[in-house]
Amino acid sequence: MPKKIMFVEDDEGFYNIFSVPLKMKGYEIVRVAEGSSAVEKIITENPDLVLLDIVLPGTSGLDILKELRERDETKSTVVIMLTNFGSDENISRAMKCGANDYLMKYNIVPSELPDKIAAYLGEPQEFAVKMTES
Amino acid sequence: MNQLTLLNILIIFEAILLLVLSLIVFSLKKQSSREKNVVKSDTTVLKEDFLPIIVHEMRSPLSIINGAADLLVKTTDSLSVEQIHTLLNQVKVSSTTLLDMVGSILDISKMESGKFELNKKMSNINSVLDDECSYFEPLAKIKEMSLECTSNVDIPDFSFDPDRIKQVLNNLISNAIKFSSEKDKVTISARKEGNKCVVEVCDIGVGVPEEEKQLLFQKFFQTSNQGGRKGTGLGLFISKGIVEAHGGKIWVEDNEPKGTKMIFQIPINTN
Repeated sequence: MPKKIMFVEDDEGFYNIFSVPLKMKGYEIVRVAEGSSAVEKIITENPDLVLLDIVLPGTSGLDILKELRERDETKSTVVIMLTNFGSDENISRAMKCGANDYLMKYNIVPSELPDKIAAYLGEPQEFAVKMTES
Repeated sequence: MNQLTLLNILIIFEAILLLVLSLIVFSLKKQSSREKNVVKSDTTVLKEDFLPIIVHEMRSPLSIINGAADLLVKTTDSLSVEQIHTLLNQVKVSSTTLLDMVGSILDISKMESGKFELNKKMSNINSVLDDECSYFEPLAKIKEMSLECTSNVDIPDFSFDPDRIKQVLNNLISNAIKFSSEKDKVTISARKEGNKCVVEVCDIGVGVPEEEKQLLFQKFFQTSNQGGRKGTGLGLFISKGIVEAHGGKIWVEDNEPKGTKMIFQIPINTN
């Protein structure tokens, strides 16, 4: 079974460039494009890791993170913030709320993201054949 | 995907980067000389905010282009055809976003230096409305929204810049769709009032808080009820500049029972 990653990201461009290398490495990616339904979907999908943006339609990533940490089903799920907002205040708030890591979209090239994920999930089994899913 | 195609993509990418960097350097120089000569006022404070905000806005599409190019170069042999198409399409979409931003900056620069010019010609406002409605029809369909366009045959052809008025309508309609829920309705209409042409774009979305109505047309202003929807905050500022360059005015009203009514009027000049 491939490891499952929930990617909470409203910007299709960022979703496309970050999901491609993860899919190539064999992770299963499930996207949530807005904030209000994210917690329920994360509970239903029960992913191994959540990539979470901060500015989202509906509910902010920080509020989603807080709720995930309050719920028994998700209090120990690995959550990595992946955002444009790199202020000390935002990083501090996210880490206090229980984020496992905080990555800046500008500072990480997509091909390096799988290595960051592997630090939490271990090396995925790479696909022997070319992925056909975009 | 052959090497030549990838090389072409990278050349385009580099050209965009150079364009943006040149623009930033140009803006910095302009701002620097302005600061030396002009006594600071509220307006200049607003101008000083311009550079960091627009640079921040440009970072997203630039990062996406950079990320897509990085994947195309480093993992060419591992990517499926569909993935290559997805990434190339993303480069195209983000480049367009970036070019739109550059266009907005140039418009604002011209407006603020008094060099903004219209290309007026005898045109038909109903045709402009119809064109814009047709343009947004697919987007409205995706959101299962209805787009109602009401023409008015009483309005004669008159002198205005149809491309710039399309730009205003484009901004107003895209905002109306953005701030509406699925299955909502957006209504676009034009009417003649004396020697003025009045155009309205009405939605039944989240509306604009009373205290923010005066601020809506300021540069970079974003309403508090954006709900995470992203924008540059330049569209309405530019729309106001375009309408005022026509000798008209633009304003916002509540739409009853809910939503927003964006209205602009321009003089009907048939000479």
